[in-house]
Amino acid sequence: MTLVLIAMIGALLIPMVEALQDEDIWQRMLAFASIATKTSVMILVIAVLQDDWMIGVVGVLILSVGNAALMLLAHIIKRVDDAMEG
Amino acid sequence: MADSPIMSSYAYAIMLLLPLSAAMVIFQSNPYQALVMRGILGAIAALIYAMMGGGDVALTEALVGTMLAITLYVVAVRSSLVMRLGVLEGEGAKNNLQWQPMLDYLRAMLKRYQLRLELVPYSDTQSLHQALAAKEVHGVCLMDRTGPNAEEVAPRILVRVRRLAEIFATELPEAIADAKLYRDDALVTLPHSPTLTEEHS
Repeated sequence: MTLVLIAMIGALLIPMVEALQDEDIWQRMLAFASIATKTSVMILVIAVLQDDWMIGVVGVLILSVGNAALMLLAHIIKRVDDAMEG
Repeated sequence: MADSPIMSSYAYAIMLLLPLSAAMVIFQSNPYQALVMRGILGAIAALIYAMMGGGDVALTEALVGTMLAITLYVVAVRSSLVMRLGVLEGEGAKNNLQWQPMLDYLRAMLKRYQLRLELVPYSDTQSLHQALAAKEVHGVCLMDRTGPNAEEVAPRILVRVRRLAEIFATELPEAIADAKLYRDDALVTLPHSPTLTEEHS
């Protein structure tokens, strides 16, 4: 089980490198979405590993509500981009 | 702490990601990109808090620290990093060769300072001047005809903010537009930098 978690940390590094390298803001938003989902799934894996229901509930909440920040951010950035071009 | 089940070997690997993402936030100059990085930092911080057993702290970090703070900041950045330029209605529709290149140049110039150009249309010159005096806009763009029947127009930009006037004086060539600092009592002409004047003369 710990090996699964270590593999997930390795997978977490991929969008981190992507966010560091690519200058395009939408690529960075994609990396943010990837990291936000991966970290909440990792919280769920840790909850199962430690058999802790409290952390499990927190993981489910972050997974379901956490992407709302991404939606709000994407909406405003899109409007700023439209204003800059038009 | 080191031999407890919470602080396993993978815990140190996850914790190394926190300073890495924090450095990414610090070395980012564009405010919008920095806010996306702040979201990444918040997600990793929430993971570490949950891993250490602080479920309530992790939930607060994800909801308040990431979602609410980023949304409020991006709204604040969007409304503050903008230059409002008052223009006459239908100015771009006229047969005016200098209009679009001037706007493109202004947008590119302000983008280097992370600023956004917003055009505010007004119906006549009088309301344009009133808007500048009432601080509704940061600057106005006037199109003066060089002669009574002349085809050519000379764009003139009056800026109310001193810092913007300094940027315009050093980076906007006179061939594109003539920039002046607006004051309540009189107009102050800022000297153009010699290098740019030489380039475009």
